[in-house]
Amino acid sequence: MATTTQTTVPPDLGKTMQRDMLAKYYGALETANADGVPVAYLFIPGNIVELTQCFGFLPVYPEINALQCGIKKVAGENIIRAEDLGYSADVCGYVKNDIGLMLKDRQSPFGRLPTPDLLVCNYSGCNTFIKWFEALAHFYGSEFFLLDIPYIRESEISPGDVAYVVAQLKELIARCEARTGVTFSEARLREILGYSREAEDLWVEILHLARERPSPFDSYFEAVFYMAPVNMLRGTPESVEYYRQVLREMRARTDERRGPVPEEKFRVVIEGPPAWPHFRAFWELFKRWGAVAVASTYSKVGGLYDQGVRHDPSRPLESIAEYAMNGYTNWNLAKRADLLRRYVEEYEADALVIHSVKSCRSFSVGQADFRESFVNELGIPTLMIESDLADPRYFQEAQLRNRIDAFFESLTQRRLTGATA
Amino acid sequence: MIVAGVDVGSTTSKAVVLDDRRQIAGTSLLPTGANVVRAAERAFREALAASKRDESEAAYVIGTGYGRYKVAFGDDQVTEIGCHARGAQFLFPDTRTIVDIGGQDTKAIRISDRGEVLDFSMNDKCAAGTGRFLDACANVIGMTLDEIGPASMNAQKPIRITNVCTVFVESEIIAHLARGEKVEDILRGVHLAIGSRTAGLVRRVGTNPAVTFTGGVSRNVGMVQALEERLGVSVHVSPLSQWMGALGAALIALERVEGGAVHRIAAGGAA
Amino acid sequence: MSAPLGRVEDLRSLVEDVTFPRAREWKEGGGKVVGSFPVYAPMELVHAAGMLPVHLFGAGGGVEIEAADSRIQSFVCSITRSTLELGLRGNLDAFDGFVFTNICDVARNLSGVFARNFRGKTVEYLHLPQNVGSGAAVDYMTGELRRLLATLERMGGVNISNDALAQSLRAFEENRALVRDLHEIRSKAPWLLPASEAYVLTRAGGLLPKEEHTRLLRETLAEIRSRSSRSMDKMRILLLGSFCEQPPFALLRAMEDAGCYVLDDDLALGLRFLDRPLAANGDPLRAIAEGFVHGAAMSSVCHTVRPKTEWLLQRARELQVDGVLFCTAKFCEPALYDYVPYKEVLEKADIPHLHVEFEEKMTAFEHAKTQVETFVESVMFG
Repeated sequence: MATTTQTTVPPDLGKTMQRDMLAKYYGALETANADGVPVAYLFIPGNIVELTQCFGFLPVYPEINALQCGIKKVAGENIIRAEDLGYSADVCGYVKNDIGLMLKDRQSPFGRLPTPDLLVCNYSGCNTFIKWFEALAHFYGSEFFLLDIPYIRESEISPGDVAYVVAQLKELIARCEARTGVTFSEARLREILGYSREAEDLWVEILHLARERPSPFDSYFEAVFYMAPVNMLRGTPESVEYYRQVLREMRARTDERRGPVPEEKFRVVIEGPPAWPHFRAFWELFKRWGAVAVASTYSKVGGLYDQGVRHDPSRPLESIAEYAMNGYTNWNLAKRADLLRRYVEEYEADALVIHSVKSCRSFSVGQADFRESFVNELGIPTLMIESDLADPRYFQEAQLRNRIDAFFESLTQRRLTGATA
Repeated sequence: MIVAGVDVGSTTSKAVVLDDRRQIAGTSLLPTGANVVRAAERAFREALAASKRDESEAAYVIGTGYGRYKVAFGDDQVTEIGCHARGAQFLFPDTRTIVDIGGQDTKAIRISDRGEVLDFSMNDKCAAGTGRFLDACANVIGMTLDEIGPASMNAQKPIRITNVCTVFVESEIIAHLARGEKVEDILRGVHLAIGSRTAGLVRRVGTNPAVTFTGGVSRNVGMVQALEERLGVSVHVSPLSQWMGALGAALIALERVEGGAVHRIAAGGAA
Repeated sequence: MSAPLGRVEDLRSLVEDVTFPRAREWKEGGGKVVGSFPVYAPMELVHAAGMLPVHLFGAGGGVEIEAADSRIQSFVCSITRSTLELGLRGNLDAFDGFVFTNICDVARNLSGVFARNFRGKTVEYLHLPQNVGSGAAVDYMTGELRRLLATLERMGGVNISNDALAQSLRAFEENRALVRDLHEIRSKAPWLLPASEAYVLTRAGGLLPKEEHTRLLRETLAEIRSRSSRSMDKMRILLLGSFCEQPPFALLRAMEDAGCYVLDDDLALGLRFLDRPLAANGDPLRAIAEGFVHGAAMSSVCHTVRPKTEWLLQRARELQVDGVLFCTAKFCEPALYDYVPYKEVLEKADIPHLHVEFEEKMTAFEHAKTQVETFVESVMFG
């Protein structure tokens, strides 16, 4: 029911703010090496950006570089450059994009990226991360620290796992002190964690708005955009302010019953990374059916905040360790399948869409098994489509359209006749 | 009153004209070629000619296949998955699973007793297990597509073909030929390999009887046998298998008319 | 005088038998069987529980992959698909449980697929420490081993005492020492012991009860040492592939026939995993943890503090190889990533190398064999 709220929020304010935040971020990166500002390379899942911030490190996320190159249509040439160096067609496109960038002296569409002073390999949710940063250590000769984050292999995390990660965090602190000459301050860390926590709370409120009918935003195609600051720029007052604005914006949309499509016809949960090199075209394939994502899992690789994960200033290293273990790809398949099922229920989705990408085995091995159990055991209509997250060559629009059309056609038909599987 | 379904595939275009008693009045089949729009038109006209009916009698036309959006004169588009489902169930009412091996892709479709699509799985990314794979193998052996099926059924000791890649299977076959293996044995191996890959695809939607085998490759008797062996059930095959999509499209068109839909040309061009 | 062919061929049939006759025998005798997926798993614990540890190496070419495609995609290494296929077809019915470890994302997720599809079996996944340079790694791994122990105790309805563990550790150490001896001979005197024979003798250790394998090794080593073959002018190579998926035996033979002495390899690495004796006294679990953290064999699936490229050069020089042969399984990510830095350092060091891709189920080797023959010719006679 629409209320007569005064709409003082300029639409797309969130987009503008993020654009400015990222411009500032990339600007700082461009001069970092020259200015002697230490640079730490990190992965998004389980990243410990609050800790590196304590020492004045600027964070670089090669995964973000890869997806940005995908969107800006330069990933293809980067990947080919890496393949010319000897990397196989069958390895991850994100890694190849990064190697390709390195071979181009790190000239990216958003400026020249700095070399790393420290490679913090936060190994969470993906074994390939280790190979990736081992390769960068070889090519750059940079210092390498492996933060070994145990996979969640039972239903809950164990104290032994937390102890192991905390011990390593302390070892990392010592290494950061040695590298930067800055003494670790727990007070500073607590302050930073306070900002993280606030941003996380706000982000979860935004995610929950997708329960509305219609959903005010697409919890996949828009969420993967709005999630950037809580994944990469946590621990800053700017990121908190950003999420306050975005929440206001989304609440305004809710009040106006405005959503990402003119008429919401289908609500879906989407599992898997997006096809970055063909992002708009990919989204269009769903928009034309009035399909809106009300929940997604890729938006949780940087943290399962909506499952209660929070950074906690009162338990600094423990909460960092717990956060690091609770990224979506670090959850075992049973937990992932259960989360998908709960999303379908909680957000009242009509179907599950699995976008299986060639590059990422961590995501995709076992998705066919999800499909099997969802269709045959749970009776939830499930569509499986395939392309890639980085390599533009694997996106076959005609085939994707065929599968997506056939699926929504059949859902439409089943709605009319009330047919069930 | 008649309706039509036009299936524009990447290799061939087919059309079926259906009368209001669900009898097939006319069909057509021609190569798609470079001009997809023209191929769609020609397919429609040829089927009309065969039916001896006039275009003005056509109450509704549905386009299907990869080129469905190029059926400019069509009233709507439905994917070939939806159309195959309807067509197969019409010809064989006990159909609950459809296996469609085409020139370039393979599909497995699970349907309801009303021909509605409940689930589907496709191999549309690579030529392995499609008609193209058979093409390549036939080429290397020096036989035609019509010959390889019957020849494969004479095999005494089928040879296990391990390469799934269409490019590499050619060298694998050459190696077997060089070793003096029999052509029938190699061909049977090829058919069984496709049967296996297809069975793997069908397993994703479940092998619920009755199974109907459609698509151009279903005309290959050796492939029918290999598929039955790998699936462990016998399969329906129709001489109309190449027109399954167009037939299904025409049936859906008829349902639309019966439901009150109006052909836009008959309505004076109003969209 | 070459090896009695009977033995090698018998062992080869045994290791390639995808019906697992020894596991079935053990089961029929009232015991339990626990399989491990590559590369390494601390199977001493399984032994201490009175169960038969079996190292799974996929189905080779032994099974047509059909059912597995409905659970995992086709563009991953064949060993994961064929192992799953074996499970779905009932070939693993004699197994009571499976142990997986964190070697790569595909194997990791496979453990989840196993858990959902084989609900009557116990599926355990161990996250072994990759930060082996951390002071906390041994404690962490000891804890992980205790977790596995508890699982095995539940499975077997038994209590596994420290004594039982110490005894199993001794049995495994005795066996590992003999395996080391075996590989010492094939590296130093490859004319006495071809790599393919050493391979099959090693791999049999993943199927036979430990005590039986130890006896077999003792007998065979005595016999090998009595051989009087002479050294020939062959190309000395190091074979690397980070092998979970194993190349067909015929491919190994083809490489030897092409004129190579394969002085060392990382085939069946899990059965040669700890490169030094474990601490004899104290907590057996802690001893295993220390052995793993401080002495794990070099492989693309384990992180090392020391760069692997350094190890590669050192090993190549120690063995005095004429070249390095990389033989990687199709789609194997870890091996394919390491290949690039390895290639770079070998080129800088002027050590000839070749890269060949394989699949466990390949039956036509002409292409690979030709590549190796050309490699040998260019290095030995070029």
